[in-house]
Amino acid sequence: MIELRSIDRDETLRFLGNSKVKMNSETDRLLNICEKELLSAARPKFLYKTIDINEAGIIQGESIKAHLKNCNKAVLLCATLGSETDRLIRTAQVTDMAKAVVLDAMASSAVEKVCDEVESLIREEHPDEFLTWRFSPGYGDYPISLQGEFLRILDAPRRIGLCTNENSILTPTKSVTAVIGVSKTPIESKRKGCASCSLKSTCKFRKAGTRCEF
Amino acid sequence: MNFKDLLKNEYIILDGAMGTMLQQSGLKLGEIPETLNIVNPEAVIDIHRKYIDAGSEIICSNTFGANSYKLKNSPYSTGEIIRAGIANAKKAAGEKALVALDIGPIGQLIEPAGAMSFDEAYEYFREEVLAGEDADVIFFETFTDLLELKAGVLAAKENSDKPIVASMTFEQNGRTFAGVSVASAALTLEGLGVDAVGVNCSLGPDELMPIIKEFTTWTQLPVFVKPNAGLPDPNSNTYNVSAEDFAESMDKIIDFGTVKLVGGCCGTTPDYITALKAVTKNRVYKKAEYNKDTAVCSGTTVVEISEPRIIGERINPTGKKLFKDALKNNDIDYILSQAISQVNAGANILDVNVGLPEIDEKEMMTRVIKAIQAVVDVPLQIDTTKPDVLEAALRVYNGKPIVNSVNGEEKSLSAVLPLVKKYGASVVGLTLDENGIPKTAEGRFEIAKKIVDRARGYGINPKDVYIDCLTLTVSAEQEGCRETLNALQRVKNELGCKTCLGVSNISFGLPNRPLVNHIFLTMALEKGLDLPIINPNDEDMIGAVRAFKVLSNIDRNSIDYIAAYNEAKPEKPVITSNRVTLGEAIRSGLQSEAAQITENLLTKTDAMSIVNGELIPALDKVGADFEADKIFLPQLIQSANVAQACFDVIKAHLTKNNETPVSKGKIILATVKGDIHDIGKNIVKVLLDNYGYTVVDLGRDVAPELIVKTAIEQNIRVIGLSALMTTTLGSMEETIKLVKSTPELKDCKFLVGGAVLTKEYAEAIGADYYCKDAKESVDAAKKIFSSQ
Repeated sequence: MIELRSIDRDETLRFLGNSKVKMNSETDRLLNICEKELLSAARPKFLYKTIDINEAGIIQGESIKAHLKNCNKAVLLCATLGSETDRLIRTAQVTDMAKAVVLDAMASSAVEKVCDEVESLIREEHPDEFLTWRFSPGYGDYPISLQGEFLRILDAPRRIGLCTNENSILTPTKSVTAVIGVSKTPIESKRKGCASCSLKSTCKFRKAGTRCEF
Repeated sequence: MNFKDLLKNEYIILDGAMGTMLQQSGLKLGEIPETLNIVNPEAVIDIHRKYIDAGSEIICSNTFGANSYKLKNSPYSTGEIIRAGIANAKKAAGEKALVALDIGPIGQLIEPAGAMSFDEAYEYFREEVLAGEDADVIFFETFTDLLELKAGVLAAKENSDKPIVASMTFEQNGRTFAGVSVASAALTLEGLGVDAVGVNCSLGPDELMPIIKEFTTWTQLPVFVKPNAGLPDPNSNTYNVSAEDFAESMDKIIDFGTVKLVGGCCGTTPDYITALKAVTKNRVYKKAEYNKDTAVCSGTTVVEISEPRIIGERINPTGKKLFKDALKNNDIDYILSQAISQVNAGANILDVNVGLPEIDEKEMMTRVIKAIQAVVDVPLQIDTTKPDVLEAALRVYNGKPIVNSVNGEEKSLSAVLPLVKKYGASVVGLTLDENGIPKTAEGRFEIAKKIVDRARGYGINPKDVYIDCLTLTVSAEQEGCRETLNALQRVKNELGCKTCLGVSNISFGLPNRPLVNHIFLTMALEKGLDLPIINPNDEDMIGAVRAFKVLSNIDRNSIDYIAAYNEAKPEKPVITSNRVTLGEAIRSGLQSEAAQITENLLTKTDAMSIVNGELIPALDKVGADFEADKIFLPQLIQSANVAQACFDVIKAHLTKNNETPVSKGKIILATVKGDIHDIGKNIVKVLLDNYGYTVVDLGRDVAPELIVKTAIEQNIRVIGLSALMTTTLGSMEETIKLVKSTPELKDCKFLVGGAVLTKEYAEAIGADYYCKDAKESVDAAKKIFSSQ
């Protein structure tokens, strides 16, 4: 069980594409309301499973292979905030679009936070090994079309209600899948960086002159 | 032996997990378990045999995930796998056990959470049902979305005559992942006419106890229970309850009563079934006490009609120009805002009527039902005079709705009541017939009685018939009011039916109508009215219901009353001076101030000069600040919302003076086929609206054909498309191609946007304007329309 107690404001502002603007009291109030509503709607859930790298067809493409260099195992993980969060954002889109936009950004930041916590659980389980950072389908040339297969291996549709549609979009939408490599030797320090990111040409963080810290 | 005969036994033993057993027999990672029906039938038959030897009287075929969505990359078809699965089970069962066609969820979420439509889900299930024709019974298991399960149950009922068992999987909080409550599941499924309902998977027997107990209070059907062998370890996926402990807990569960079919889900093995068999031996079936009042529900919320409940009447075009315009312009958001405001005001149920001669009522009704259910939780009352519209709405409705209405006329009874029965709804019965509305209470009572009798004849529980004794205008027929109230009282006392009544007709033609309405409502409540149909935004009306509940000792300790009135009301802003200009109000997000300033301005300036001289320049300034990173996106939108409030004031002013608001041009907006991210598109919509463009919003996951059709029908030549995923950019390209290859639309201009889109890609697929954000889409619209 992971419980969200708060949502990172700075991260939310970064997802909104601008962390430098001055807030007025009206937007500050909006952020407070959104945080309260999101914390009560979110039902964080996650699953993970350790696999042998050679065993599964889920590791495809040069990027993920480079990411898992020298790793013998990989942990597949997925996390979701659940469908209630989608509903909250959907309703806000009818009543108050500004609220919807803030909720959307907050939920993106919240699901990343859930992943951070899952990752630290995984790290605790591997005290003597070396773990890579999280690499998701859609990064580099790691095919996003593998989402369905990825979730099937984790039995995610049945166990946490996380599915994909025919275009490999995760539903509920505030969800993440990722791979963490496990190695017996230290991981060569490869900062993630924009160069290895498939979104680099369109990234809204880059457009705003910041980074997502990938 | 068939299922109906088997149900005569005291308890029925089901089987345990198939997946767990297959894993033990060496199923490889990523392998689809159902393909073993063909590549290794012996392994599957062996597992079935072990369960039958342990005492299972019904076994489930290894077909849980055998649908064409999950099998799309498999070398075998759904039909091949299901036929092999049933044959394997039959071979193992012989005469010793019945074989259930096991059907699980499709594996993608249904609308609104996902992109799969009700009809698509129905087709997947239909294929499974047809392929499983040799099974004895159909089991739907492990469902989390009630609407998806409803599609399955309808597919089974309409394509076979086999008994149906339907079960959902709940979390510890008593809800499924999709938020479905135990009571909603029980009410809806029993209404659809399944043979047993229940709970499987997700939790162990101990954790499931409160959920099963709740389930047994909401249904009279036999209850089906298949818990997991405890809770799984998140990494190893092993379970923590032994066969003995499992059986001991199941013993307590059976004691609740009504539970009749028992087995195990994930982690259970033949040992668990053996232990379970021992527990049920020589035991006499008992039923739990059932004392629920009639109730209706959505997927998430049940409303028991055990006290007065308010039905909101505002979703209805009769006499409402703005509502009619919204229907004609496909402005679903307007209808949704009416739904949300009524619920916020205190409506327990919403009436939905979208009948207008110039629109396709069936298409609009299903769209509106789906859209309302995507944003509010209250149950709905489907209000239409056309049986085909009614049936289409009943199919896609998630939960148990009210049908509005049937009357004493033969034509109405025989058209409406079978639909009410088939879809398990409640129904409003109007006390009128071929001869009109009887003048006397006696006459109306007789029609009510006829409706209830006929409903009973169709197998509808008389409790689910809500009689409307009809309000007549008191200024025209003064004696009629008493007749209505007396009829209501007799129906309530002598037929035991719930009653409903539209209230506001009473005062037509009189001055100070609210006073008359409000007193009439109070009189009717005192006579036993259960379902007043009112405008919940009218504080006096809703206040009368609240006060009535206090005075009748329904609202114990006045809890609801105090909650409604104790909170200080936000004060209405009063602009005492002209310190704030319209522009400043827009920039600072001061909505009510801005609306009031607009009203003041309208007394001295004409509408268009306010728009062009004040509103648009203020929005431009905010837009420029946004581009310069001085404000962030929510601030831009807040300003747009404020401007929207000003436009609404102006629109209302123009409508009142019979002038038509000037539109700067019409634009279609859509998120492309397959994509369900629509927030970006909706931001664009807000801004375009505010700049005076008329936006036809087709929503998300929109087929290219619908865009072509709409563009031609409404003569629109500017189209905005959004796609958020690399996987859906292809749909954007297809849409543009299809539109441009349509001769009438070859001059269409496209503006496109979305996270993964680039300027280069936009040009390559033939879009005219790449918009990196909502502000740029307004700039693009300006360019397009100024050049026309």
